[in-house]
Amino acid sequence: MRKVLAVVRREFVTRVHTRAFLIGTILGPLLMGGMFVMPILLSRQTQPRRIVILDGASGSFGARVERRLSAEMRDTVGAARPRYDVRRVATEPGRLAAVRDSLVALTGRAGAEAPGPHGILVLTDSAVATGRLQYVGTNVGSPGDMGALQRSLGDPVRLERLARAGVDPAIALPAMGPIRLSTLKVSEGRVTGESGGSSFALAYIMSFMLYFALLIYGMQVMTSVVEEKSSRIMEVLVSSLSPFEMLLGKVVGVGAVALLQLAIWAGTAMLLTTFRVQIAGLFGASPTAAALPLPTVSPALFLVFIVFFALGFLFYAAAYAAVGSMCNSVQETQQAQVPVTLFIAAGLLTMFTLLGDPSSGLARVLGLVPFVAPFVTPVRYSFAPLPLVELLASAAAMIAGVIAVVWVAARIYRVGILSYGKKASLADVFRWVRTA
Amino acid sequence: MQDAILRLDGVVKRFAGHTAVRGLTLAVPRGGIFGLLGPNGAGKTTSIRMIMNVITPDEGTITLFGEPASRELSARIGFLPEERGLYKKMEVLDHLVFLGETKGLTRHDARTRGSRWLERLGLRDWEKRKVEDLSKGMQQKVQFISTVLHEPELVVLDEPFSGLDPVNSREMKNIVLEIAREGRTVLFSTHIMEQAEQMCERIVIIARGEKVVDGAVADVKREFGGQFVALTFTRNKEAARRVLADRTLVARVEDYGATAEVELAAGAEGERLLLALVTAGVGLSRFEVVEASLHSIFIAKVGAEAAVAPASEATQARRSEVVHA
Repeated sequence: MRKVLAVVRREFVTRVHTRAFLIGTILGPLLMGGMFVMPILLSRQTQPRRIVILDGASGSFGARVERRLSAEMRDTVGAARPRYDVRRVATEPGRLAAVRDSLVALTGRAGAEAPGPHGILVLTDSAVATGRLQYVGTNVGSPGDMGALQRSLGDPVRLERLARAGVDPAIALPAMGPIRLSTLKVSEGRVTGESGGSSFALAYIMSFMLYFALLIYGMQVMTSVVEEKSSRIMEVLVSSLSPFEMLLGKVVGVGAVALLQLAIWAGTAMLLTTFRVQIAGLFGASPTAAALPLPTVSPALFLVFIVFFALGFLFYAAAYAAVGSMCNSVQETQQAQVPVTLFIAAGLLTMFTLLGDPSSGLARVLGLVPFVAPFVTPVRYSFAPLPLVELLASAAAMIAGVIAVVWVAARIYRVGILSYGKKASLADVFRWVRTA
Repeated sequence: MQDAILRLDGVVKRFAGHTAVRGLTLAVPRGGIFGLLGPNGAGKTTSIRMIMNVITPDEGTITLFGEPASRELSARIGFLPEERGLYKKMEVLDHLVFLGETKGLTRHDARTRGSRWLERLGLRDWEKRKVEDLSKGMQQKVQFISTVLHEPELVVLDEPFSGLDPVNSREMKNIVLEIAREGRTVLFSTHIMEQAEQMCERIVIIARGEKVVDGAVADVKREFGGQFVALTFTRNKEAARRVLADRTLVARVEDYGATAEVELAAGAEGERLLLALVTAGVGLSRFEVVEASLHSIFIAKVGAEAAVAPASEATQARRSEVVHA
């Protein structure tokens, strides 16, 4: 046991001392902080969109649209600012195309004194009936801009239709008031105050953290096995340690490094979300602007996440170690590791399936499949705490999977670490596993 | 041999397509220096790997300290493999501490001992440096330290002096001799007979996986018998070659160029050879009646062709190490 600890310590200390670990550990939180602060800074920079309404429609349709767009506000840091800078140009329907083309020539033109418009909104009488409106502009590629514009146009078009049908706008307007569905998540029998969006965000963040940690640290296990082989230190190790001790020490040591890094990242994320109002304040943002869909993590979820990460890591790192033992060089591993990596990718992909219905029968079954369970169970738990029975069943399946993989991996490893020369074929590997 | 620290009994090891070790039986007595000799590809490294439990024999038994060989005994053995290797990115002292720990030393003990050894071998200033910053010779020294750090009862060295310059080589030899003086046992393999001749009390010579010679060096030489003369020429070697071709005088010649080792024919005397050489006008700086060298014993027992093992076997022994450990 003391020997295993020596291996664990070696793996841990040499890795934590590397520059790569330091950079990765600092860069993670910096990126997270950046993701939090950048939108605030960006929204401060955004100018109102200059829109020309080319009004070829009869009646008050054009004026209605102009009123509506002028009233739209952007949720900006500090004080709300208008979203649009609107000018209306009335035209006869016959000259519509010609005027539009001359305006297009100005569109997107830069210049401090008289910058051209961002785009032109064309209104016609037929548009009221069909609901087909035309907008030509430089910013049509921005889903945010176009979504907002389309939402803003819904009300004036419908009001115009009602008005033309003879409905008094004074009655129609309040009747068309917006409906808002406020979603609040129930967790452990209590309303948590979280929105539905934050549940999605949490599922994404957790899955990607798992994905990257399994991939990066799993590969580190594989590479270090190959390096031990090619540097020939393996022979010295094998004479004093059993292959199983070596495998165990390596996987646990690297796993501890991964856990440390995840803990630092998760800790930073928790601090950021806890003090988001204060941090937003530093950048001059209002508390409401800081109300991003950021999730809060319960200790129970944290525990489930860590336990399933640890089990998943044992599962995949053992497989990666076996792959490393079959190869003679890092180049050779490129190809050999593909099957293992595909399984991890499959785990990540199941998350997208789960988002649709995390409590479906399929989700329940996937929780019992070892190679995807490290993703499935924490994600499902993040939507709603699972019954203890289900949680234990998933953990038990995972443990059984870990035992099976470690058993097979240890047998491949035991032979593989001392075989040099050609890369092991699949037939070789089967023989290694079978021989006692 | 009652008090054998290591005993091999009918050990066989087969690799795909050829047999590397064929029924090897030997006993290494406690204390002293034991040489495992043989040409390249004779099975020395394979035998040592089996002794160290890196690979397991297909047949036969290996007994260490009177017990069946197992990894449990590794703390009492120091092992320097033929292919050296260290973690390149580790600091020198940390590396020694780690290897010491795998041999059961506590961290503290391993650290003090490691420092002491580094000091002794002139590597004190390098203990905080990474292994990859060291020269190849220094790395060899570090690896050598790791094999003796835990003061093992048995030290197994596979080709310990290969790749060392004469200064470092002497330093290592002195340590080996010191270990033997302390009553501990050193088993080392080499294909350089002169090295073994200088250091070993007992030897085993193997060729093609089989034992050819076994015993104390003095006994081996006495039993081999024959009369040998060592010659060093200063001039007129052509004339010497004609004299040495006389089969009534000389049974065999081992020609090294400037020197030669000659086995006298049965009934011939050294004086007659000296007379013949001087008469022929050969210049000599050395003419000495000696015992057979291990080299000539080896050539006589194995045949000159075995000294150079078939290339295919030698490479196979090294490359296709499919093992069932």
